[in-house]
Amino acid sequence: MHIDHWMMFGTFAEQDHFAYPSKDAYRGVVINANMAAHASEGLAAFLLEKTANHTYIIDPLTHSFQHDPYYISGKDRELKSSIAAIAESYGSPVRETAGQRPITPADFKKGSVLEDFVTRCLTFQSSTLSQIMKESDAIKYLEATDQDLHPYALVAPYFFMTEATLDAWLEVAKRAADVARRTVKSSKLFISVVISRGVVADRDHRKKLVDAFNPIEADGFLIWVDDLNEHQASSWELTGLLELARALRKDGRREVINLHGGYFSVLAAGVLGKSAMSGVTHGPEFGEFRSVVPVGGGIPIARYYVPAIHSRIRYRDALRFFNRKGWLGSTKAFFQNVCDCSECKQTVGGDVGNFVKFGDSETKDVRRAGGVVRIDFPKTETKLRCLRHYLQRKFLEYRFAATASEKQIVDDLELGRTELEEVMGLDAVAHLALWKKTLLKS
Amino acid sequence: MKKPPNNETCSQAVSESELVRLLTQMLRDEGYRVRLEVSNMGQSVDLVATQGRWVTAIEAKLSDWRRALVQCRTHESVADYVCVAIGSLSVPSGLFKAAHELGYGVLHFKRTEAKFKWEVRPRLNSKLWKPQRRYWSRALRRVPYAY
Repeated sequence: MHIDHWMMFGTFAEQDHFAYPSKDAYRGVVINANMAAHASEGLAAFLLEKTANHTYIIDPLTHSFQHDPYYISGKDRELKSSIAAIAESYGSPVRETAGQRPITPADFKKGSVLEDFVTRCLTFQSSTLSQIMKESDAIKYLEATDQDLHPYALVAPYFFMTEATLDAWLEVAKRAADVARRTVKSSKLFISVVISRGVVADRDHRKKLVDAFNPIEADGFLIWVDDLNEHQASSWELTGLLELARALRKDGRREVINLHGGYFSVLAAGVLGKSAMSGVTHGPEFGEFRSVVPVGGGIPIARYYVPAIHSRIRYRDALRFFNRKGWLGSTKAFFQNVCDCSECKQTVGGDVGNFVKFGDSETKDVRRAGGVVRIDFPKTETKLRCLRHYLQRKFLEYRFAATASEKQIVDDLELGRTELEEVMGLDAVAHLALWKKTLLKS
Repeated sequence: MKKPPNNETCSQAVSESELVRLLTQMLRDEGYRVRLEVSNMGQSVDLVATQGRWVTAIEAKLSDWRRALVQCRTHESVADYVCVAIGSLSVPSGLFKAAHELGYGVLHFKRTEAKFKWEVRPRLNSKLWKPQRRYWSRALRRVPYAY
């Protein structure tokens, strides 16, 4: 069994991580259309030079035009240039409405608006980066055919569907997928299912989705459940995600990739979940869940991925818990109980006191309403250490979920819960039991 | 003129910054050297009082002692003693109970006397992790003493 490990491209600062822990660790890269439009030269170079096989999917991000223009505008209230670029490429109706008002299903009713929109959206995906790669100097030194430079799959335009908007948008999304299927002949076609947690948790809503999309002969699906943090999700949501993935997967004949998934999704794609998904995507900087409508971030803080509970927690909390368990008493105890990945081995070395390097910060004065306060910001090297440790663990998790026996996986979940419940509390570890129960039941 | 009902209401409520100032004064009188707003692993310790090699971390709150207890958990990794200073009219029983269990000290601001008093003396913290303390001490030394 194999689980496709996809990574979401975020910023160019992260591009080296797509070759970590090894260049062939990832099946491919998911790139947002606005990035592809805005920085196509850089992305083409990145795909040719930093990834193993240039495999990529462009997420067309068509949903971004259905939200309040506030979310696609900059501080000056002007439409972001990267969004303006895809609006221009996709044409009507988004070219006229972007930054002015949200598009609605009614915008796609007239004449051939939808057909033309779908065609332009697919053309953008198939040509934007492949054309630049084809014309680049670097291609001379690589053994790549034209086909190799095309996206792994083209994605039909899609829209975010909540319980309240499902009926209205599903009709448009289905038509868009139908048009895309008729248009795409020589590439794989994926349908993106971007839904709220309410939709995934409801059997009737899932059935509507499956009934609409299953007759279309798509090669695969991308699933994105809005802000679904698997660590806090209910059994309804997790079961819903599993059942939806299985229904779309058609007994393994089609690919299903969770666009923002954590260890639960990795397990679902592996032995325990009986290959309910074919792959899972996350970002180099975590990205295991994401809101469809973007939300701002807070002050950056050092976070350490705790392998036993498959969670990334604040360094200060990790330190407190590990110390109480006695795992910071010696390097042997640390490597045995916390982590023995190569990043941890290199950082901790022969002195467990070096664990402080995962929290190494610099203090800066920050002006607040009550005056100036001193706040710690993780150093660049600290973020890099935490990130490399995280990527090492993710690599191991995908392999473990795909190759370990059902008993080994269940035992591992059990161990995490029993080992850390006494110091972290039940709330911090209870997701492990829920994941196990949900996966075994389904 | 109407007579105030008792001394408690007659006394003035203080702000958190005034609370910190008065607490600093008291600690200095007791021989401590005090630093304010010392960062610690993404949090900020309200007061760090040192006496020789001993370090005491103090969270000062007007009334939200539960929040103080949460913040103090992080200080356990670096301080020899951990305390909560509270400005409420009386010390809540929940704070007393938690302080006894956790080994934290409790300082209470007596409004009638406009000064702090030790209600519970802290116990030596056994959860300190020396490497983190050494790391933190280097940053601590860069913070100037208060007043």
